[in-house]
Amino acid sequence: MKLRNKEKDVIALLRKSQSVSKHNYITEDELKFIAQEAGVSYSEVYGVATFYSLFSLKPRGEYVIRVCESGPCHLMGAKSIFKVLEKELKIKVGETTVDDKFTLEEVSCLGICNEAPAMMINEKVYGNLTPQKIREILRELRKKK
Amino acid sequence: MIKELKSPLRVVLENYGRINPESIEEYITQDGYEAVRKVLREMRPKQVLSEIKTSGLQGRGGAAFPTGLKWEFTAKVKDIPKYIICNADEGEPGTFKDRAILEGDPHKIIEGMIIAGYAVGANYGYIYIRGEYLLSINRFNKALKQAREHRFLGEDVLGSGFNFQIEIHQGAGSYVCGEETALMESLEGKRGNPRFKPPFPSSSGLWGKPTIINNVETLANIAPIILKGADWFRTFGTKECPGTKVYTISGQVKETGLIEAPMGITLREIIIDHAQGMRDSKFKMAQVGGAVGAILGEDMLDVPLDYHSLREKGLVLGSGAILVMDETTCALDMLKCFLKFFKRESCGKCIPCRVGTKKLLELATAISQGKGKEDDIDLILYTAKVMQKTSLCALGQSLILPISTILKYFRKEITEHIKGRCPTGVCKI
Amino acid sequence: MNTVDLTINGKLVQAEKGSTIMEVALANGIKIPHLCYKKGLSIAGSCRVCMVKIKDRPGMEAACTTEVVEGMKVITSDEEIDDARKLIVELILSEHKHDCLVCESNGQCELQDLAYELGIEMTRFPISKTVESTEDSSQVILKDPNKCILCGRCVRACAEITVQRVLDFAARGSGTFLISGLNKPLADTDCVSCGACIQTCPTGALTEKLARFQGRSWEFRKVQTTCPYCGVGCQIELNIKNNRIVKVYGVEEGPENKGYLCVKGRFGLDYIHHKDRLTTPLIKHNGKFEEASWDEALNLVAIKFKELKDKYGSDALAGLSSAKCTNEENYLFQKFIRICFGTNNVDHCARLCHASTVAGLARAFGSGAMTNSIWDFEKADVILVTGSNTTENHPIIGSYFKHLASYNGTKLIVVDPRAIELTEYAEIWLRQKSGTDVAWINGLMNVIINEGLYDKEFLRNRTENFDEFRKVVSKYTPGKVEKITGIPEEKLIAAARMYGKADRGSIVFAMGITQHTTGTDNVLSLANLAMLCGNVGREGTGVNPLRGQNNVQGACDLGALPNVYSGYQKVSEPQVRENFETTWGVKLPPKEGLTVVEIIDAASKGEIKGLYIMGENPMLSDPNLNHVREGLENLDFLVVQDIFLTETAELADVVLPGVSFAEKEGTFTNTCRRIQLLHKAIPPIGKSREDWKIIMEIGKRMGYPMAYHSPREIMDEIASLTPIYGGVHFDRLGGQGLQWPCPSREHPGTPYLHKDKFTRGKGLFTPVDYIPPAELPDKEYPFLLSTGRVLYHFHTGSLSRRSKPLDSIAPEGFLEISPQDAEKLRIKNNDWVRVSSRRGKLKVKVKVTNRVDKGVVFMTFHFAESAANLLTNDALDPVAKIPEYKVSAVKIERI
Repeated sequence: MKLRNKEKDVIALLRKSQSVSKHNYITEDELKFIAQEAGVSYSEVYGVATFYSLFSLKPRGEYVIRVCESGPCHLMGAKSIFKVLEKELKIKVGETTVDDKFTLEEVSCLGICNEAPAMMINEKVYGNLTPQKIREILRELRKKK
Repeated sequence: MIKELKSPLRVVLENYGRINPESIEEYITQDGYEAVRKVLREMRPKQVLSEIKTSGLQGRGGAAFPTGLKWEFTAKVKDIPKYIICNADEGEPGTFKDRAILEGDPHKIIEGMIIAGYAVGANYGYIYIRGEYLLSINRFNKALKQAREHRFLGEDVLGSGFNFQIEIHQGAGSYVCGEETALMESLEGKRGNPRFKPPFPSSSGLWGKPTIINNVETLANIAPIILKGADWFRTFGTKECPGTKVYTISGQVKETGLIEAPMGITLREIIIDHAQGMRDSKFKMAQVGGAVGAILGEDMLDVPLDYHSLREKGLVLGSGAILVMDETTCALDMLKCFLKFFKRESCGKCIPCRVGTKKLLELATAISQGKGKEDDIDLILYTAKVMQKTSLCALGQSLILPISTILKYFRKEITEHIKGRCPTGVCKI
Repeated sequence: MNTVDLTINGKLVQAEKGSTIMEVALANGIKIPHLCYKKGLSIAGSCRVCMVKIKDRPGMEAACTTEVVEGMKVITSDEEIDDARKLIVELILSEHKHDCLVCESNGQCELQDLAYELGIEMTRFPISKTVESTEDSSQVILKDPNKCILCGRCVRACAEITVQRVLDFAARGSGTFLISGLNKPLADTDCVSCGACIQTCPTGALTEKLARFQGRSWEFRKVQTTCPYCGVGCQIELNIKNNRIVKVYGVEEGPENKGYLCVKGRFGLDYIHHKDRLTTPLIKHNGKFEEASWDEALNLVAIKFKELKDKYGSDALAGLSSAKCTNEENYLFQKFIRICFGTNNVDHCARLCHASTVAGLARAFGSGAMTNSIWDFEKADVILVTGSNTTENHPIIGSYFKHLASYNGTKLIVVDPRAIELTEYAEIWLRQKSGTDVAWINGLMNVIINEGLYDKEFLRNRTENFDEFRKVVSKYTPGKVEKITGIPEEKLIAAARMYGKADRGSIVFAMGITQHTTGTDNVLSLANLAMLCGNVGREGTGVNPLRGQNNVQGACDLGALPNVYSGYQKVSEPQVRENFETTWGVKLPPKEGLTVVEIIDAASKGEIKGLYIMGENPMLSDPNLNHVREGLENLDFLVVQDIFLTETAELADVVLPGVSFAEKEGTFTNTCRRIQLLHKAIPPIGKSREDWKIIMEIGKRMGYPMAYHSPREIMDEIASLTPIYGGVHFDRLGGQGLQWPCPSREHPGTPYLHKDKFTRGKGLFTPVDYIPPAELPDKEYPFLLSTGRVLYHFHTGSLSRRSKPLDSIAPEGFLEISPQDAEKLRIKNNDWVRVSSRRGKLKVKVKVTNRVDKGVVFMTFHFAESAANLLTNDALDPVAKIPEYKVSAVKIERI
């Protein structure tokens, strides 16, 4: 149906597709499928998928680490959080570890400002971060299969 | 649970931390859904509109538009279907009040939306929750299910003949979708670009139909106003800004968290009485209203924090976020931080903001690396001014406020960087 | 009051309520700088350059998004506004590499103009160093991201005009960039190369790839003329350097195309300069062509035809006129044949496409032409499109249908055996078996009558013979129709209700209806349907055949037909004939002549000895090509006048080089009866001559000198003899042309027909029964073959296959076959197969697709190396004599 299907929300379809992907991203085939479902063009789906920062069209790690760098978190030491993570994971912001386990991203305010500096890893929220805390978190996640 | 800093008065947060948010039964014991009952049984839509208008409630998202008036505009439009949208895309840095309400008392929002729908003739409600607020989404989902089971939602609510449904839409990581027209674009499944106004959402909103967009905190005030009356609501706060406000405090103070207080509490009171004072060093500045908010120096510590009083001083209350900074902070470093936020969050539709946010950051960064020129500061200021006059939406239009106020207080500190030195030692020159 | 008064920069102007400041300013010649606004596209309000100040309103507002109100006082420029504009443009210039040095848009760039107007020497901002590479995968479109200002015009044009939605923006903020498809090269997307993006781009970000380095913008001589391809009649602007057409733009004021074109009109005109162009007359000696002088050739032609006429009689001669040549040339041609040959054996390719339309509508309404106009489709609530693959064959109209369905809420009912693109935009798609059209149309009418959805008043006042007709229709119940056509009952009923309940319903049709042995019946049925619901004689309604060739309507109008003179005035009527005899000064033959296929038949039987063909290629376009070859080869003397040595010209005894549309003056008449001018843009190539001059020369040598100095004079004569063209003169045709009927100089032309009465008085209902096609699949030949066209080529390909871009995009033909049939035959995509019918065989590559139903195959007739008409059936409609191209039986074997 080339006529837009109002009942199908492109963003919800993108989110669903990404949520079942092991590598937290949306494949090209999925984009095509969503375009058909929602009655929108390929370019529009691509445009929507790349507008929102939660979506990725490239494979990411099993765990996506989102570190906030907005006002409160920046003030309370987000810079050092990045440094620790980059050192521990041996990657730069935007990259994924060689074992495909972790991706490091910098994001805008997560709404955890009272526990700044803060980050999210997939669905979990972590606040009041310290280098020690971060190493513990990574250790726990590395243990998980 | 977000720490509550001894709220002097609880209206919006009356149930917060006191009931199990996943239990509708507990909500009901606290007069939950009594307001819906009252509205459907005893009041006509016009009366509900009148009550909200009289209360003087203003939008708590930041724009501070009189809620009753907004509802009235939409009620008058002869076009269906109409929509109620709850704007839960809380993205303003330093703000987490809506998260608190959604996680702590979701039914209050549902109640507010039902009443709004009844007042304007809308049968459909959407709540747009930012995609990162997973607990909020989870709890709100549960609350919707419970509300449906108890027939507060669905067809023929409480046997009144009024139908109302609410659907959740999740955001996907975009601050600008908190702007009401960009939010509607996103709800329609598109890129979150703001629309030009007029036409206004009240006549042409979601799918081109009459739409109300209200902030979470605004809707949380509806049930209390209906139950206790507009006159009661006016007994606290200020004349121009009645009611309470939920302020969120973060930064270099001893206690961070949220606090509900009558409109008009001062910065000094918040920092000293509620946040227990500065943590390590002396107070330098506070940004009130999020990244688009103005910088307040020591001279503003006693200004009442309400929409009106701050506007009189050329400042804004905005979302009510308060970021407190001490003397170890570098003004330029914080300015860079705000500019970086805008650059990342600009939707890219209009030229002034799309390119302006990028250039402003480039200029500020150059200054912070000792590579700045004397004229750069004035260029930053002038560009922000032109952005204010020409940008399509409030994002581009608002940069002037943090920029001009930070320069008002700390121009010399920033100029030092051009000369090759960062007074606080934060910037590596 | 529907207007408001306001002042802009102190000037008082009047505006329509609801218009924006930008629209009003532009309409009043007041320039407001802008980059993202474009008339005809939706409003973006994104560049923020058009900010203006309004008295008593704070700050500035965008002129393109702000509605005017009574008493508004607008200022478009002052120091503050200009400074803001400057800053915005400097922001643009600080991003990307806006390098004008060798840019094709240098000298016609809106960004350049704006920067100059604002006096910008340098941007005050740090300049971005990133340089992007250009994208040139497309055969015709060159994309340079360094010049893109993200105005979004191309995105909107692609989404709203062509409705292909190939382009969009990706990422956000300062990282936003333009993508096509899933961020793929343009050639790997659904791009149809229409170039709307190039037309709307304000800078050099999107330009014509093939015009690269071919000329600076100020070096071009610009000439407006009418496109030579299809019946839409787009107005084009040829950009010429050194007498070569380098690029083509759409003319914004073009009444049908409003600035837009399809791939053929925009990129397919380079055939004009192809090396194959005939530049001298050719005479065949011993089977080989030798160059000859004009005198030699013309004398030979005149002598031979005179010989044959004297020996065998006038009716042993015939002429095939050209639906691609001008009105004036068609008029001269039929005049020549009737006077110099002395016979009415003159016809042209309309016989093969819309002869049934002319016959059917002339009988039902009194006039055989499209009743309404192209742009009034927007007033229809329901459009029934049948037998027309509109997006490929009339692209501007097809895109318009997609636009109306997507943005205007118009409901499309598409009836087609193939899953053409338009079915994706249809509210209801009825998939009928080929050739069962009378059945489903009667079925629709059966339901409409039963449910009382017909227009009783219209029937009573405006029509006749309803009762006879009703009796026949009552037999076509939905159940019976399903058995014949395969259309499920519920769908038929739903479609009937949709059309029946429409306030304004329009019917659009083309070859799928006309090219059948029951073509006339099919058209009569559609006329019945329209009359039944009162859908004739109002805007947004009507029966609308889409004419194929650029001037097939004109060729018919001007009498290149065996039974009528110009204006459809009957040859057999003594009064009419006398009128022409008086003006022309000779006695004229009273007997009606033969039609195209009959002429070929007669040639093959030896009854026609001499044939003069102008701009036609029956060796590819006629059905049953083996028979055509037989016929042409059997002639004593064949003269072909054309611009290329076509497959037909190869068989000629004398070949005369005519000229393309760009090398002559004249007029074309498009499908909605609009007569538009050509303007000569370049001199004739080589020694070729304007076709009207050639005809005059031969006429002179055959004893009838004609002394026209220009096509303008010819049209004046036409006007004096042809009531429907009575008021048509060249000096009236600039601007929007004229739609006939236009009986006098004062008459403004006619946008829609049959307003208060039908041309014949009352509309005539004709009871029509379903008759199956002449040749259906059987055991020996189990597949049903249907033929047609594709977007990138035109008819016999004599022009389009000689266009480099068109030929590169679509270099070969295919046989469309369903996956189920492909599997049974064990063939895959791109495999070669032999296709044979009772008339001939050919080899062709296969394309496996769901577009065709099981048991049906489809191919185009564009490619000489797999000439579909070797297979097609020359069985004719008894009234219109049009062949059944759409249904013949074939068998398919793997090679």
